[in-house]
Amino acid sequence: MDDVTNDSGSQVILQASQVCKTFGQTRALDNAEFELRVGEVHGLLGANGAGKSTLSKVIAGHVFPDSGKIIYRNRALSLRSAREALDCGIAIVMQETSLAPDMSVLENIFLPELGKPGRLSYRRLRQQAKRILSDLVHEHALPLDTEVRRLSSAQRQLVEIAKALALDAGLIIFDEPTASLSPNEVEQLFGIMANLRANGKALIFVSHRMEEVFAITDRVTVMREGATVAKSVATRELTQTDLVRHMVGREIGSIYAVPGLRSPEAGAEETFAVEGLRALPAVKNVSFRVHRGEILGLGGLVGAGRSETAEALFGLRPYQAGTIKLNGKAFRPRKPRDCVKAGIGFVAEDRRVQSIVPDLSVRENLLLAHLGAHSGFLLNYSSRREKIAELLDLLDMPASRLLDANMLNFSGGMQQKIIIARWLMLNPSVLILDEPTKGVDIGTRSSIYSMLRRIAERGVSIVMISSDFEELLGVCERIIVMSDGHTIADLPSAHLDEEKLTLLAAPRTSTERNTKLLQELTQRYGGAGFWAIVDEGRVICLNAVVAEASADPGFQAGESPSFDQTAIPTALQHPQDDFVAEPNGERRTFLMPIPSKRGHDLGWIGLVTTSPTPPSVQNVRDLVIGFSALDHEVEAA
Amino acid sequence: MTQETRTMQSSVDLKRLLGRVGNSLELRMLGLALAIAVVLSIMSPYFLTANNLMNVLDQSVVIGIVAIGMTFVILTGGIDLSVGSVAGLTGVILGLALQDFSIPVAIAMAIAAGGLIGLFSGVLIGYFGLAAFVVTLGVMAIGRSLAYIFSGQTSISSIPMELSDLVYTTVLGIPTNVLCLGLLYLLAGLYLSYTKGGRTIYAVGSNKEAARAAGLSVLFYSILPYVISGMFAAVAVTFLTAQILSVDPLTGNLLELDAIAAVVIGGASLYGGRGSIAGTLIGVVIMVMIRNGLNLLGVSPFWQGSAIGAIIIFALLIESLLSRRSRA
Repeated sequence: MDDVTNDSGSQVILQASQVCKTFGQTRALDNAEFELRVGEVHGLLGANGAGKSTLSKVIAGHVFPDSGKIIYRNRALSLRSAREALDCGIAIVMQETSLAPDMSVLENIFLPELGKPGRLSYRRLRQQAKRILSDLVHEHALPLDTEVRRLSSAQRQLVEIAKALALDAGLIIFDEPTASLSPNEVEQLFGIMANLRANGKALIFVSHRMEEVFAITDRVTVMREGATVAKSVATRELTQTDLVRHMVGREIGSIYAVPGLRSPEAGAEETFAVEGLRALPAVKNVSFRVHRGEILGLGGLVGAGRSETAEALFGLRPYQAGTIKLNGKAFRPRKPRDCVKAGIGFVAEDRRVQSIVPDLSVRENLLLAHLGAHSGFLLNYSSRREKIAELLDLLDMPASRLLDANMLNFSGGMQQKIIIARWLMLNPSVLILDEPTKGVDIGTRSSIYSMLRRIAERGVSIVMISSDFEELLGVCERIIVMSDGHTIADLPSAHLDEEKLTLLAAPRTSTERNTKLLQELTQRYGGAGFWAIVDEGRVICLNAVVAEASADPGFQAGESPSFDQTAIPTALQHPQDDFVAEPNGERRTFLMPIPSKRGHDLGWIGLVTTSPTPPSVQNVRDLVIGFSALDHEVEAA
Repeated sequence: MTQETRTMQSSVDLKRLLGRVGNSLELRMLGLALAIAVVLSIMSPYFLTANNLMNVLDQSVVIGIVAIGMTFVILTGGIDLSVGSVAGLTGVILGLALQDFSIPVAIAMAIAAGGLIGLFSGVLIGYFGLAAFVVTLGVMAIGRSLAYIFSGQTSISSIPMELSDLVYTTVLGIPTNVLCLGLLYLLAGLYLSYTKGGRTIYAVGSNKEAARAAGLSVLFYSILPYVISGMFAAVAVTFLTAQILSVDPLTGNLLELDAIAAVVIGGASLYGGRGSIAGTLIGVVIMVMIRNGLNLLGVSPFWQGSAIGAIIIFALLIESLLSRRSRA
């Protein structure tokens, strides 16, 4: 980490005090405080719904505060539009959603320029774009004339960053920029941020990923429920536990309602099995099974194809290949109606767009899936009267609110619970939820978790998609990890933590490169190569290439055996700077950590050989290091 | 203590109920209709006579029936610009059919033709996803053109006298056509409120994605309203033909505008999902009353267009202000 000491000398560029903002009935900001100095990276942390995004948007002029004072460069700042913020030199890098998908990369980078009067010189813009990109990664990192919607998530994020740099802003806000980036790309971004900091820019880094906060920030401000709970604390003086305590307001784990994971009864029947599902372009090869009463997590980065998988399984998206079994019988969903009748429920990611019918009353919204499953001419609502009473109890909602004309007046959490209850009305055997706690405040989240637990206890199989790894680990018994349209791991959550999940979920492009490295290794030296996380007596294999069956390490990609279950326990237990032979003398294994500039744990590379004269360790190491150095180049292209 | 909370609870319920009544667009529009009636009866002594009121109802039949179909279409978020020319075309088909077939068969043929035209538009809109505005604009042009071709560019006046029984017989003192209008409104209202199909139409118009995800038959109920609209245009022209015993290829010209205006005045949102049959009926009555009143007052027909246009815009403005408040 660069040792930038911002203790007293640096000047304050932005000072926000007592900022308040209310959306409808939600108090998004409640006397928030914030201070930013020139030449620092300031972490803005908080759980979902803590108000960190709202505060960034207030600073960037996208949202107008109800009250509060913001001093910027020693003058009161009162922004009426994002345009004014740009003119003041404040830019924001959003989570890839502020791009115009049908315009080219070049036009997107200079989108703010379009808002200025006068003619644009495309030639000048092109040169400028190349200069920015070569500062960022290298000149040809992005195809300037391609439409943005054809780019990958990571590339879009790069466009967002280039867009902020094009403004030559003095203050740049990075709003969760790493959500769709692989660890290598994150490293690269941090390199850029360090450069900007060295050039005297003031940066705000919004995130909820601990390790990143520790890797890049100088000071940290933590928000909870709209208020600042820890202001401008030096990162060096903090521990992870401190941060979590500030963010959650209590010890972690307690928000996941029920203590301890409840595993389903041994031998519970398999209710839902998916094999080799392909629904192009996003879903390439997805397989998983879920048992009665189990909560299965489907984790991965944004763009990994999880939502698309759910949509294909629910008949909302055609699929080209794959078999689906429901309660042991083949099932081929063509439209949602098939699924509704078969007892599958789906809570989509975007409540407003995919679930809520705003012009129907809360009661009719609750009964909507009943209407879909019902095949008579009349409504037959009365047949569900008892079920409604039971669900109201589960929802903890007074019956009088059923007649409310507009469901949008409820809090996000209550809306979500009503949508979940909509499916429970049909006593489903499988319930698929896509980001069920998106936009739900932290208090209500725990009530959704306990609701899910209660549903699972009644024997419903739950498949939960989430980008929040902490949530997956806290709620699910087992986690399927997806990356670039493939299911790549199926592991008990007890074997995982956030860091391991992040590595597992890395985009396929970085995996492919590692596969290439492993192939290169095995081609040159024979045997078997693997890429794995080695931790606490367990190895989590990210990738393995076996050239000689006799050198098989005893595990495959996506598996997490304990050392004793592998064929190379000794080498794993006592890694040395050399090949370690197993007692039976068959396999010799060399393990080395993947080098990382910024102390990220990128896992280990292992080479297993059966040859009695193993290759020179130095040669292997050079090959691996050569590849990781290359990584940065390839990553950019 | 519990007693007290209960009374508090019930007073809250009462308040909520009152709020809902005050917020109900139908009731506000009913108030507007009554206000117009009061103003007109003050301004013209003839307005509030039984004769004239029956006249108003009689004049409501054609536009009223077309407006039912239009309500179905608008509830799904669509629009049907073709109803006027479909009325013209099915009128010509009715007139021609009456030359060779019995009255019931001829009427059935006309209604079936209307339904088929609606199916054509509905499939293009619901299945192929074309814009309702453009599709029905095209059908509007085709329909009118075919009406001229089939009729040989002249009006058909050899209509059997018995057809006029549809209009000039009475049941319990009420003319049959007005009775039919009432019956159709009752059926349509019940359908939209108490059947799976009716609620599905609302759900499709309000949020198609959510309706599909809940397993509703979005495609079927996106097409059905256009079929109903086409059939109702034929029903309306049947009553009109019965009244004047002649069919003109120009029949129903600009009928779509009156029907759309009535539905919108009745509180329906052009974005779909919001509106009601009762509201449409009030909208129809308002439209017809204003026309009737302006005639009674001797206002130049050239000014009548301005008056009606102003009322439509006023109704839309109210809708937008209210929905901004409730959806904010």
